[in-house]
Amino acid sequence: MTSTSPEIPTAGSVDLPISVETPRRSLLVQLITGMLSFLIIAVPSTLSGLFFLDPILRKRKAASDDTADGEVPRKDEAGFIRLDVTKEAVPQDGTPLSVTVNDDLVDAWNMFRDVPVGSIWLRKVGDGPILAFNSICPHLGCSVDYIREENEFYCPCHASAFALDGKKMNDIPPRDLDVLEVSMRTHGQQDANGHEIWVKFQNFQRATSDKIVI
Amino acid sequence: MIALINWLETRTGVKALMHEAFNERVPGGARWRYVWGSTLVFTFVLQMITGFMLWSAYSPSTRTAWESVYHIQHEMFLGNIIRGLHHYAAQGMVVLMAIHLIQVIIDGAYKAPREVNFWLGIVLMMIVLGLSLTGYLLPWDQKGYYATQVTTNIMSATPVVGREVQVLAQGGSDYGHLTLTRFFAMHAGILPTLLVGFLVLHIYVFRRHGLTVHDPKRAPDTTFWPDQVLKDSVACLAVLAVVLLLAMFRAPELSAPADPAVKFDAARPEWYFLFLFRFLKFHAVESLGVTFGAIIVPGIIMGIIAAMPITAKVLGNLGHTLNRAFTWALALGVVVLTLMAFYEDANNVEHQAALTEAHRDGQRAIELSIGPDKIPVEGAVTLLREDPFTHGPRLFAQHCSSCHRFNGHDGRGSLVTEAGKTDEAPSVIAAPTAADLGGFGNRQWMTAIVMDYSNHFAWMKNSTWFRDAQAKHAAGGTVDYINPDSSEMADWTSGNLDDLKSAENADNVRALVEFLAAETGHAGTTYDAALVEKGRDLAIKGSWAGALNGTSCASCHDTIGQDFPTQPDDSTASSYPTLAKYASLAWLKDFIRHPDAARHYGAKNQMVVYSSQKLSDENLDLLVRWLTHNYTPSTVPDYANQLDVLNAALAPSSSVAVEAAPKK
Repeated sequence: MTSTSPEIPTAGSVDLPISVETPRRSLLVQLITGMLSFLIIAVPSTLSGLFFLDPILRKRKAASDDTADGEVPRKDEAGFIRLDVTKEAVPQDGTPLSVTVNDDLVDAWNMFRDVPVGSIWLRKVGDGPILAFNSICPHLGCSVDYIREENEFYCPCHASAFALDGKKMNDIPPRDLDVLEVSMRTHGQQDANGHEIWVKFQNFQRATSDKIVI
Repeated sequence: MIALINWLETRTGVKALMHEAFNERVPGGARWRYVWGSTLVFTFVLQMITGFMLWSAYSPSTRTAWESVYHIQHEMFLGNIIRGLHHYAAQGMVVLMAIHLIQVIIDGAYKAPREVNFWLGIVLMMIVLGLSLTGYLLPWDQKGYYATQVTTNIMSATPVVGREVQVLAQGGSDYGHLTLTRFFAMHAGILPTLLVGFLVLHIYVFRRHGLTVHDPKRAPDTTFWPDQVLKDSVACLAVLAVVLLLAMFRAPELSAPADPAVKFDAARPEWYFLFLFRFLKFHAVESLGVTFGAIIVPGIIMGIIAAMPITAKVLGNLGHTLNRAFTWALALGVVVLTLMAFYEDANNVEHQAALTEAHRDGQRAIELSIGPDKIPVEGAVTLLREDPFTHGPRLFAQHCSSCHRFNGHDGRGSLVTEAGKTDEAPSVIAAPTAADLGGFGNRQWMTAIVMDYSNHFAWMKNSTWFRDAQAKHAAGGTVDYINPDSSEMADWTSGNLDDLKSAENADNVRALVEFLAAETGHAGTTYDAALVEKGRDLAIKGSWAGALNGTSCASCHDTIGQDFPTQPDDSTASSYPTLAKYASLAWLKDFIRHPDAARHYGAKNQMVVYSSQKLSDENLDLLVRWLTHNYTPSTVPDYANQLDVLNAALAPSSSVAVEAAPKK
């Protein structure tokens, strides 16, 4: 091919004769075409959008636990989990004790048996009841530390501070530390003098003044 | 060649396209100040190139994300460079974007008829910030995990739909596999696609209106190609050089694998979000709530920026002046807040300690992953959970450091402090009230026990129980307590010090110490076998030179040289502490569980009993293995020795503490 060869006509550059139709027919065709075009995009988009909303639309199925026959389950129906430590481990003088909570963890397609799922602070004053706090800061979800010399809980991210009873000491956190339900038991049976510490471990929504279970 | 181009031209119109792309008119000549947009396009292309390559090796799940990023950076050919380029170019993009935005506002390039393009630019900026945010989580390390938690929690503070937005972003009520798959889909698919789309529009509209030129007579008009392209290329090369050098000499950090059960006190956002982080910490801002500080204020600022074309239209020159003033004020505020955050963190002892720990954990995780056993399918997080080097110091800090120290610190590198005498007084460094376990069971430790017993355990004299016992004793009462200054052992070392230090016994002391240290079985040290045997002889038979001859350790500590029993039993115990494999793993476990047993120091021992309810078997094992060096050896730099700092801090205070400080 040489530069002198004739131009190849292209559809885009040539005005092709467009057949003249009745205006009514043309409007109908345009309407149908528009609807079809919309439909072929809208159907997959809607389906995909709903798929993306799965986390708030899907009902989750209950997972099994793997307690052997005859063994006292680590977690009861009400969601209380037995801690590794007993009453004796919590210091008498009110110093808080950090404890890791283990539980079965379902993560999408996996079941992780008996893995750490969070950490809590346990505290006891004299022979009083044991208090349990979720160590996650109710502000924005960092972990709260115990500062020995200040004798308070403190979050290293945005400086939330809490008294040892969990009450907030400045305006940074929206609410007090999240208190968890504690139940003292013996062989899994409710017993006010029991030594086993069972805690209903829950996480709560951060950045809100209300304590809302996640 | 020409024929080929013509053939292509007739079928595609390529010439017209090239003409359109490269022959843009540049009134007033090519200038350096026009390069910023091009550098942004270039960094985006760089992100696409490196990003696709990283994608080819990245695996988004909680048990493979950290692991695959580790593999990219530490195993794959040029992996550290590719990740480094992607890491630093991302930061470069944010910086270039800020420059581009400031320039557009200063030059008035946002004004009519370029309003739509300005808004397209703002959309692009949001997309880029979204890319940085989603990218920060993908390595699934502690740093990204905890920093992104803060971000998604801020999302939840959005009025009305906050919680739903958070759950959708996370893929569930908590972080997990689906958080990663969704963040990755956003980061590598949805956001880049949107970015390309908006970038095409942005450039198209830009070409429609052309450059904003203030001084068209400055130089003769030219065309984009090659004059401006040359300048653009040089600028892009400079950007490339910077990120490449950073990638080569400052590899991006990979902190320890994310673990929701391990607190991370060093959490900070990427440095370009530090200003917002610092802003949130103002008391006045805090008291108005997270929604106000993290959503409403940034929203208002973005609103003011987006409204700038309208402001300029309505108020004319005054509007433009206001817009420029606002931009400079905002830039100044961002710089000041960023510097404040850096300065405060650099001077925050706790934050620095947390950073040290974060680096130590991260390097340890990498070190274990590099090891011959590789990473188990359960993920690298289990490597650290089962690692004494990682968790020993934390357990020590939690359970032991209220009395003991480890090389002067609490096990995690921090000095232990206590409240000042009054409520207002600043906190002070607390004096230890039990032995410093930094060199537990090593040669220096054994030498100190043989030669310098009183001094070695002198920290005990700071304790309340010791003072109480002394007071009671002084008042004439009978009290049975451990006194480092006055016990059979203290008397033996002080009474025989001259003989022990004599030239003829020098080798004997060395041999005894070698034997005692070898008996601990601590890993990581090799012992001289001949010397150990000689030491054993000395310990059991007492074959010393001179006056010491015949005095053996075994005459009191009758189990020395024997194995520590698997079922210790005190029915045959003598009244002296057992030295059977003293300071070994088995001995120490038994000592921590039963410090008050007759085979140790009996009821007079003030050490707290650590039952399995108080310290689980797993944790006892981690703690003791750490103290006896029974773990995969590490080359990770350990916490600095703080004994000198501790001694110096205690020196001017009470006389007890000064005397109690062990000799160096």
